[in-house]
Amino acid sequence: MGIVMPRQLIGFAAAVRLGWAVSSNWTRPILFVTYAVLRPISVALILAVMYSVITHNAAAARPYLAFLIIGTAFWSFIQEGVSEFATGILEDRGRYHILKYTYMAPLGFPLFLVGRATSKLASAAASVVIVLVVGTFALQLSISPLRIDYPLLIAACVLAFISVIAFAITLSMVLLAGKDTHGYGEIMAQFLYLFSGAIFPIAVLPGPIAWLAALSPLPYWLELCRRSILHGQVYQMFPSLSDGEVLLRLVIATAGTVVLGYVIYRWTDRRARGLGYIDMEANW
Amino acid sequence: MIGAAQRAEYPALRIFFKTIAARAYPRVMAANRQKTWLFFDMAFPVVGALAMVLVYEGLHAPRQYLGFVVMGGAMLAFWQNVLWSMAAQFSWDRGNGTLELYVISPTTFEGVLLGMALGSMFTVTLRAAVILVLGSLLFGVTYTAGGTLPAIGVFLLTLSALYCLGMLLASLFLFYGREAWHLSNAMQEPVNFLSGLYFPVHALGAYVGGAASLVPMTLGLDAMRQLLLPGTPVFIPAGIETLLVAIQVPVFAVLAGVSLRYMESRARRDGKLVTRWE
Repeated sequence: MGIVMPRQLIGFAAAVRLGWAVSSNWTRPILFVTYAVLRPISVALILAVMYSVITHNAAAARPYLAFLIIGTAFWSFIQEGVSEFATGILEDRGRYHILKYTYMAPLGFPLFLVGRATSKLASAAASVVIVLVVGTFALQLSISPLRIDYPLLIAACVLAFISVIAFAITLSMVLLAGKDTHGYGEIMAQFLYLFSGAIFPIAVLPGPIAWLAALSPLPYWLELCRRSILHGQVYQMFPSLSDGEVLLRLVIATAGTVVLGYVIYRWTDRRARGLGYIDMEANW
Repeated sequence: MIGAAQRAEYPALRIFFKTIAARAYPRVMAANRQKTWLFFDMAFPVVGALAMVLVYEGLHAPRQYLGFVVMGGAMLAFWQNVLWSMAAQFSWDRGNGTLELYVISPTTFEGVLLGMALGSMFTVTLRAAVILVLGSLLFGVTYTAGGTLPAIGVFLLTLSALYCLGMLLASLFLFYGREAWHLSNAMQEPVNFLSGLYFPVHALGAYVGGAASLVPMTLGLDAMRQLLLPGTPVFIPAGIETLLVAIQVPVFAVLAGVSLRYMESRARRDGKLVTRWE
């Protein structure tokens, strides 16, 4: 065990490094960061303009602007972790033809996938920080690094990352079954956008869909991010729940996502091996 | 055999038009062979528009704003097509070896790009129509009937200008490898913002809106909204916006031609036409 653990850690670190290299070695780091933040900043600006057109920047509506900006900022984790990760795995198979080698490596395929996903989440962190900085200075949100409830924020983000990684790995294994599924990670991220409470409260959704959205860990994660950063100055999706109750719901939803993801992963993995999806020619 | 080869030579103009037809054909036919992509092409703008509609619902906005979003969602399909299937296309073509075949054939890049544009316009217009009808029914958006014909005219002009811009971008993308993917991604949301896809362009103010008018979608979409959605805040009167879009068509076409010549000669010199895996 004493020997196995470091090996696994080394393998995990190698997978993270590989993910970062594949994502970023096409350009200089500064250009990569610029491209990575353009999207979330633009989305934040779109929402800020929509907000100002309707509310005329009324003081009473400021908590809703904070709701929109923090939701958009943290959404980068889903965009990178789900959409870009799924695209990356499909590229590994269809374009670079390396997926079969990583599958055969002694590291263990799930650990490789977790490493790749971790690198995506790490690269999203830069855009989260930049969108929050833009929100603070350009949109005058009262965000102060000294007033953030870091333990709550870190606990919420760790749980959310576990569920995002579980979901992304399962999704990419499902997508391996298709020959032309490139782009479906993006669509799935868009669907999650609707169910997550990132840019509107899930209560706006029609009843049964709102109920389904409440099963997902994402609304609880984003709620805790908003509360930990802006406390009482942000619109709350679950005003009747305390921080601890929202955290408990996040824990339960994360556990559910991981268990369901594991079951589906095992099934899709067996199917992929049986039907030769791991090295299928995908006509990239 | 030499005689036969000489007889087979066609006038340049005929080759040009045959190229357009040949390149448009797979765009129309192949797009419908992969049924899952039909869903993808329509679902992406619809889901994006739905998210923005729900934001307006959350803000208790007047219903006319839902019309802005639906029309923006339909136009988004074209901008995505211009970015991914025009601008970045030569980059994919270089990767799969088709670009070098274009270069050694007796045709021009303009013919190939025009074919792509015409084929894309046809297929994406069908999809945008579905998005528009579905979105309007779903969100209860109504339009001014009297503005329909002028709006169709503005729409066709906007498409022409947009795809000429796509040809210009295609020449610029000729040098990009993997960067083309990220560049397309990076151009997506900023243009969605600047062109006022989900809100009236008027809200951007004179300077930002004026700069954003370089993208034909900004002025075209605003003019169509003025014609079809009553109460749209006026950025510039629709007639002037239409005139400006009409001017953009030849400007972008000429710029695309000049840029293609320059980039092609540079790419030949630097060996970029056959480079792969970068």
